[in-house]
Amino acid sequence: MSDTDPREVEGKRLLGIVPGQPATGERKVPEEQDLVTVWPHLLVRHAVVGVAVLLFVLILGILFDAPLREVANPFETPNPEKAPWYFAALQELLSHFHPLVAGVLVPGAVIVGMIALPYIDRNPAARPALRKVAVVVFTSFLVVWILLTLIGFAFRGENWGWVWPWDEWHGEL
Amino acid sequence: MKLRETNVGRSIFRSPDRKTERDRAAGHWSSFLLHIYPVKVRREELHFRYSWYLGVASTVLLASLVVSGVYLMFFYVPSPTTAYGDMQTIQTEVAFGQFIRNVHRWSAHLMVITVAAHMARVFYRGAYKPPREFNWVIGVFLLILTLLLSFTGYLLPWDQLAYWAVTVGTSMADFVPFIGGSAREVLVGGDQVGAATLIRFYVLHVALLPLIMVAFLLVHLWRWRKDAMLDQERPGMGLGPHAGEEGGVGAPPGSGKQGGGE
Ligand code: HEM
Repeated sequence: MSDTDPREVEGKRLLGIVPGQPATGERKVPEEQDLVTVWPHLLVRHAVVGVAVLLFVLILGILFDAPLREVANPFETPNPEKAPWYFAALQELLSHFHPLVAGVLVPGAVIVGMIALPYIDRNPAARPALRKVAVVVFTSFLVVWILLTLIGFAFRGENWGWVWPWDEWHGEL
Repeated sequence: MKLRETNVGRSIFRSPDRKTERDRAAGHWSSFLLHIYPVKVRREELHFRYSWYLGVASTVLLASLVVSGVYLMFFYVPSPTTAYGDMQTIQTEVAFGQFIRNVHRWSAHLMVITVAAHMARVFYRGAYKPPREFNWVIGVFLLILTLLLSFTGYLLPWDQLAYWAVTVGTSMADFVPFIGGSAREVLVGGDQVGAATLIRFYVLHVALLPLIMVAFLLVHLWRWRKDAMLDQERPGMGLGPHAGEEGGVGAPPGSGKQGGGE
């Protein structure tokens, strides 16, 4: 049997038999940087994740009803007046700083900063230990933003005063 | 005989053999449905910890929003005299109306979370570094678009929650120097949230913003695929745990040669 003419045995290509060795040869230990085909390896995982996410929202939809309050009434201002939760951090900032700062400068700086990030941070390292400044700055921002969102969403009641969410609940989804 | 080995199958799938890895790559490469994916990726990308699959989760939520949103559009008229009543009809009379509305709403909230988390994951993995800077920038626009879509949708039920949340939200625009007042005018269509606001938000929510979103997302995914293959052609472009370190670039030297991307 020549090298250029592999025969097939039970669907496997027969390349040669070496006495004392397993017929399949030495197994290569796959490394993280080795390439694998997207089908099936990645696609199967994406399909599983996709179905799981879909099932999750379908179950949420069965268990919980979306809110519908009374019809809109321009003459009856609710107290507190709440923006949607993803703007709660901004609304919380607005209650502390001049609107020009909290409503314009901060969100503007956040957007510009995020767009500029890959052009400012030119450190090529990927490991967090080697990019402490970037990790600390980003993490601080994230923590502050999540805290502000939580406070604006759950800890603010009438006239934007402080409430404990377990005493009074004012969060709306 | 397999379908793909017949004349018809061959005309559809192009590549009849699936015996070797090369055959399978050729089959992948000639498939329309798979063209959004690279043919090969690094093994590390298969692990949950690599991306937490948050980009995929966001994409699936967007699909769920499009499907449920189109269903709701059949029963909803964006006018202050009809909108609220239509919501009540959807919840009480339309088949699966309440359920579809719930799915739409929870998908929207969840998508804001998954997109923000996807961004954080991309940051901590350092995946915004060259050559991926521009895909990060497109990502920032996707995040803004996600927020705008959520916000414009929030008004549509025309209940107290919707009305006052949008009143608070749009009043922030007033503080932008010089253009703020007129920007708010254009968005609200008057000095108070009303019929003009509702139709504007509706058109933005069901037509303009989704089109822009899908266009940006297609570029985002296309860039992801291109960048994944770029890794394979140029060693050192990988995102391995030691990327960018002295003598420890992401891809071991020479590994670019085995790339079967194109
Ligand atoms: C509508 C919102 C978004 C969707 C649907 C989306 C979807 C995806 C998908 C499916 C991938 C590839 C797989 C993965 O890494 O999970 C990806 C990769 C990526 N995303 Fe997003 N994304 C969105 C928003 C964002 C945002 C807000 C950012 C950052 C500001 C971002 C930055 C990136 C980057 C840099 C990559 C490349 C990662 C790599 O090549 O390894 N994306 N995105």
